[in-house]
Amino acid sequence: MALALSNLLIGSINLLSINPSDPLFYTIIYDIRLPKTITSIVAGSGLALSGLLMQSLFRNPLAGPYVLGVSSGSSLFVAIATMLISSSQFSHYTVLGKSMLFIFSIAGALLVTTTVLMVSRKNKSNIVLLLIGLMLGQILGALQGFIEYMSNPNDLKTFVVWGMGNVGNTTLHDLWLMIPIYTITVASSFFLVKSLNAILLHEQYAQNLGINIYHLKIAVIIITSILVGIITAFCGPIAFIGISVPIAARLLFKTPHHLHQIVFCLILGACVMLIADILCQVLSANIILPINTMTTLIGAPVVLYLLFKSKLNFV
Amino acid sequence: MISLEQLEIGYKTRYQTISIFKDIHLTLHPGNLVGLVGDNGIGKSTFLKTLTGNITPLSGDVLINSKSVTDINLQHLSQILSIVVTEKIGGFNLTVWDVIASGRIPYLNLFGKLTSHDETIVITSLDQLNLLSLKNKLMDELSDGQRQKVMIAKSLAQETPIILLDEPTAFLDYTSKHHLFSILKKLCIEQNKLIIVSSHDVDLMKHYTTQTITMMANNEIQVVYN
Repeated sequence: MALALSNLLIGSINLLSINPSDPLFYTIIYDIRLPKTITSIVAGSGLALSGLLMQSLFRNPLAGPYVLGVSSGSSLFVAIATMLISSSQFSHYTVLGKSMLFIFSIAGALLVTTTVLMVSRKNKSNIVLLLIGLMLGQILGALQGFIEYMSNPNDLKTFVVWGMGNVGNTTLHDLWLMIPIYTITVASSFFLVKSLNAILLHEQYAQNLGINIYHLKIAVIIITSILVGIITAFCGPIAFIGISVPIAARLLFKTPHHLHQIVFCLILGACVMLIADILCQVLSANIILPINTMTTLIGAPVVLYLLFKSKLNFV
Repeated sequence: MISLEQLEIGYKTRYQTISIFKDIHLTLHPGNLVGLVGDNGIGKSTFLKTLTGNITPLSGDVLINSKSVTDINLQHLSQILSIVVTEKIGGFNLTVWDVIASGRIPYLNLFGKLTSHDETIVITSLDQLNLLSLKNKLMDELSDGQRQKVMIAKSLAQETPIILLDEPTAFLDYTSKHHLFSILKKLCIEQNKLIIVSSHDVDLMKHYTTQTITMMANNEIQVVYN
């Protein structure tokens, strides 16, 4: 796996490594390629992890930050933040502006995750949960459309491009903000391993095994919201990584134990994201395709495969 | 040992409090297989959930080893009392082994690693219910009877002196029902456990249980010792 990562890093550089080892080479690696590669790894693994946490908590393999509308919640709030920022004096690129995007993005994710969880208590069906997420996503999308419509052409272009997903927008400075938050949330998810293992049985059983379900829910809401929030703030709403990677990890490595599942999802998520990013650059000569086209083309078939192959209990 | 003192069970909604049974006064001792019978919707599950502390009593108290169930912390309670409910367990690559091993969760460290001691207990539990040959099967591949046996084995692995089962015989054929009850009976006698089973198979239960709690339509509870 580590080999795959380094391989991918080289793969993406090779495109332009015809350049001799002069200052330009240095600039390309440190200012463009390295942040982009790290962002891909953070985004891919972070989204995969939040997808895994959601699927286990809901005991529903069809859950994920994108399909349940969490990414849309983040998006809407980022749009609002962008509006507020551009109507005030300071720019997106100051630390204050960035932090504001961050906080809004996390708040949006938090709002949707909590809503979905509360609604899901009333209705336990897998499919209904998915539909609720879809509807929430549509409502939030409509609101965002309204904001986009009202905004000036400059902001509009930012919105549209950002909405297609982009891992190439982050600078090394952004990463200094992103990586610590990412590391803390990912590390804290390892403390949930035992509770997650228990909740795979059923809430009633988990409680009977001494697990405080209420605490677990709060922890999952916070971790997924922060992860989805920071990733969406920088890369836009990235499709299908969150839902498809945990499914693929489960199909490939047949273990229900979350200590292993979390590790597999982190690695697989990062790999898939790197591959998607490389494909985006390789497939067209002059333009770089938006990352969401690739993640959807890779991720959606995995979900379809699951739907066709296994008999899910749609109770 | 479970003692119920002036227990009133029921549930609260936002607007009203619905009382189902009042003044339940009862002591259940280890080594007994207790049957719980009553018509659908009469409150058997509410009764069992009150015993596990999931539903708080409207009045009175449930004492487990002379301590109120609501005062015992979850972790400690999980080492005293285990449940088998009707929910179907499956998916997520869960194998028979995984489900039974989850019975050890109350005893495990933060990362849920089984020690060799835990593994021995899981194997013993598998063996007691003749499930050793199925241990690597996925839960989704099992029949309803096998499923119930796995959940009972999980309860055994949890090593609790009290086991509550909510309608374990609901989906089983006649032979499996007999088999299940004889296993429960054996556990009560050999391991001195207190097992409470709710079921609609009244006649069948008479053969196995040591006492029967009947919840009747006129909000009365009748206890018969066999």
